[in-house]
Amino acid sequence: MFLRSCSLALRCRRFTNPQVTIRAFGSSRTARKDASENALDLDAWKSVMRSQALQEDSKIPSRSALDDNRELVEMWHQAGKFVPKNITDEQLEDLAQLTTRSAKKKYLKFLAIKESHKITKKEKQEKKKSEREAGEREQEELRNTFLLKFWSSSLDRVQSWRAAQAMRFGQPLVYDMSYEQHMSRRELENTVAQLMESEGCNRRASDPFHLHFCNLQPNGAYHRELLKRYGSHTWERLLITATERTHLEVFPQRDLVYLTADSKSVLHTFDHSKVYVIGAMVDRSIHSGASLANAKRLQLATARLPLDEYLDWECGAKNLTLDQMMRILMTVKDTGSWKKALEFVPKRKHAGFQQHSSGFTGAAKSRFVRNDSSESRFVRNDSPESRFVRNDSPESRFVRNDSSESRFVRNDLSESRFSARAQNQLKNKTDGRKKQPERAQCREDGH
Amino acid sequence: MKKRAGMDTEELSPLRTRGSVKIPPPDHPLTISEWAKLKESSSKPDHFEMQMMTGLLATNADVNIAKSLLAYVVQDKGTLTYELLLRYLTLCVSGGHHSEVFDTYDIMTTCFKTLDTGASSLFIKGFSQTERWREALVVLEGMKKALLPSPRNYSDAIAGAALHGEIETSWMLYDELLELGLVPNQDTWQCLFQSGISQQGQEDKLFSVLSYMRDNQIYPEEPLIKTIKAWFESLPDQKWSGKFSYVAPSGECKNCKASLESIQLTEEEYAELKDKVMKKVIEGSDVFKKTTPEELNSFKSFVKQRPPFDIVIDGLNVANTTPKATHSETLLAVVSELEQQGLNILVLGRKHMLQPSRNWDRQNMNKIKQKAHCFFTENISEDDPFLLYAALHSGVHCNFLSRDLMRDHKACLPDSATRRLFFKWQRGHQLVISHYAPGKRVWFQRISAYDTIIQTSGSSWHIPYDENRGDRATYEVPQKWLCLTQEH
Repeated sequence: MFLRSCSLALRCRRFTNPQVTIRAFGSSRTARKDASENALDLDAWKSVMRSQALQEDSKIPSRSALDDNRELVEMWHQAGKFVPKNITDEQLEDLAQLTTRSAKKKYLKFLAIKESHKITKKEKQEKKKSEREAGEREQEELRNTFLLKFWSSSLDRVQSWRAAQAMRFGQPLVYDMSYEQHMSRRELENTVAQLMESEGCNRRASDPFHLHFCNLQPNGAYHRELLKRYGSHTWERLLITATERTHLEVFPQRDLVYLTADSKSVLHTFDHSKVYVIGAMVDRSIHSGASLANAKRLQLATARLPLDEYLDWECGAKNLTLDQMMRILMTVKDTGSWKKALEFVPKRKHAGFQQHSSGFTGAAKSRFVRNDSSESRFVRNDSPESRFVRNDSPESRFVRNDSSESRFVRNDLSESRFSARAQNQLKNKTDGRKKQPERAQCREDGH
Repeated sequence: MKKRAGMDTEELSPLRTRGSVKIPPPDHPLTISEWAKLKESSSKPDHFEMQMMTGLLATNADVNIAKSLLAYVVQDKGTLTYELLLRYLTLCVSGGHHSEVFDTYDIMTTCFKTLDTGASSLFIKGFSQTERWREALVVLEGMKKALLPSPRNYSDAIAGAALHGEIETSWMLYDELLELGLVPNQDTWQCLFQSGISQQGQEDKLFSVLSYMRDNQIYPEEPLIKTIKAWFESLPDQKWSGKFSYVAPSGECKNCKASLESIQLTEEEYAELKDKVMKKVIEGSDVFKKTTPEELNSFKSFVKQRPPFDIVIDGLNVANTTPKATHSETLLAVVSELEQQGLNILVLGRKHMLQPSRNWDRQNMNKIKQKAHCFFTENISEDDPFLLYAALHSGVHCNFLSRDLMRDHKACLPDSATRRLFFKWQRGHQLVISHYAPGKRVWFQRISAYDTIIQTSGSSWHIPYDENRGDRATYEVPQKWLCLTQEH
């Protein structure tokens, strides 16, 4: 066949080259002869291909979903689509559970990207290795020094002792692991990675927290993933408390503060006597309000970090990762300065620190004092109006006689009580009652 | 994902041609040595074949040039890759070179284990245009492994069957399509109606197509509506005549003066909607996400103790209508206007509206409280579900006032039938402010009295359709209709 194609090529070359210019002027007969010769030439590939028919043609009669999906991935790879070349059985099972075409494509794209990362890494490593072998000629001299080498196991021992001390005397910090239903498999893996990171960061600190993983169901998805990542040996010896009890059972309710970005109340000072709870959730698919719902259900106090107060926010979700939260809380515990702590918020999300006019530092007590002064100022100025409101209600009570409307009046009273205060957290119900006698006093003064 | 017109290829992998100068493909078939020379002069010899083939495909070039390229590759490498054959196949199918398609089919099925989805789609399209259309059905069956065939594949197969006069087969494929739960393309329907014009005896099936479109609230586009009109007019002895027209706001067709279906829901539909909204939208999977159980119960008792409302107002939404006036002023103006009309009003808001501030003036709020019933939820709760609850529980006559499209709440509903019911109720009951300037009167947009859906009254059909140039959002309904009447 080689000779045949060769001779054909020769024949074509003899005819086509001089004919190039003439063909443009359309000498049809020669062109047609040319075309037919070319056509013969052109279809030669078909016979070549046909002779390459696959030898194995025994189709497996029983096809499982796994085989079908494996075939799908193989053929898509051959067709040049962005899918991985090799795929494991576990990944195939995940693929088989996705139903729509776009879901499968996205998952395969993710696997393909992972694979390409691995391949480039491997290539880099091999290149480095070959360079190193080529470059390493002279032996390293032994260095003389009187300093003993500090082994990493010594460092581990020091950190373990610190962690053990924190378990007995340190401030607790709770990670709430009750979000299995809200997360996909990938989000769960990310969560566990972040938990590992935050645990490591905690261990290395000079004054660690006593970490609790609460609501950790044994053999649940979280537990299995943690075992897989840590390894059962390390997981057994980890100096944290992992329990399936809820945080409400372990700590008294008044000590718990749930940190969530959806909360309306801001955390201005770090309280060393409270136990802060962080939801162990990664929400790439936004489940707005899931952590707040959990807090509301257990009637816990909530708080959010003072991101808006200190940072000039640009764009990005106000949900921070778990290790960022850990670092922020650690820093604010050690130094008390939010400026240093909020360095750990990713720089791409904000444009820099705001010029804070009068920083909220120190105890909450000063805040109450300030509020009182402003509040008394309010009452002094508005005493005629507040009196007006008070007088209004009896009149309105006369105008509308039905009982439902008097309930409106009663609502008025309570709402005006709220409105006299500056915007504050509704944590302590005693706040309003504390203010009332003062208002009564001022009114008497005003008379 | 937008479909590229004319080409059936699915998304192709990105070829890295950044930084390399692209050689344009030749415009006539080259010999093997000429190709070799061209390859040497290219900057990326590995990707040369794919680059050339993609270029030929993009310019829709002569198939012989592609053939010469394949001959060269066979000479050079000894075999052809699947990807190259796939691109060649795309060129053949889009150019209509049937013999090439047949040959490629033989080659690909013998040389490779099986076909991928892209190749299968192309073969179905290619075969359906020729006399070997039955093999397209074989390919279609072979596609049903890991992924179901797409509606486009079925559309091509049905077109092939209809083109060759096999109406039974095309209907069988259509039924299969519906059984698999796929939504047919407009082209499929066009093909079926076209076959209905040429061959009689399919009235029942085509009427069932129309009722499918009604049940799923699908509006035909211009080509399809023209075919439908032609089909109706082709029915013998029935003397249908069709005319494109509008519908007056009162619900009367401009052409035949018949009144269309009312947009009000029936009793059962209303009860079902009420129940589903309570369960899925307000409570959802976790009632704490949007509110708390105590708040919900207090609201339920609040609504029970009041007389049924005539209108429920989304306080925060209405207050933000114009930036020219403060929030409480706007809200007061709207409430006053509605009170003058003698309606029983409920205003929903959040507790922060009761704190005096520049936007929420105490005087205005007190006046509002005198003119209307008010309920204020916690600042962290969502007020929209309460709005829906109050509006649905006050009866069929109760409207609600908000500019919110309520799409996020509609998405909480479990199935598309309930969502359509919700959308119908929303269109019939949602008031929107059309004009408001501070100091002037408040004007509201008119609510349509008729339901925009395919409907029939036995002797007439009214079909709303989408114009070609119109950009209709999913929360809007079309305005143009086809009115079909029978002469007696």
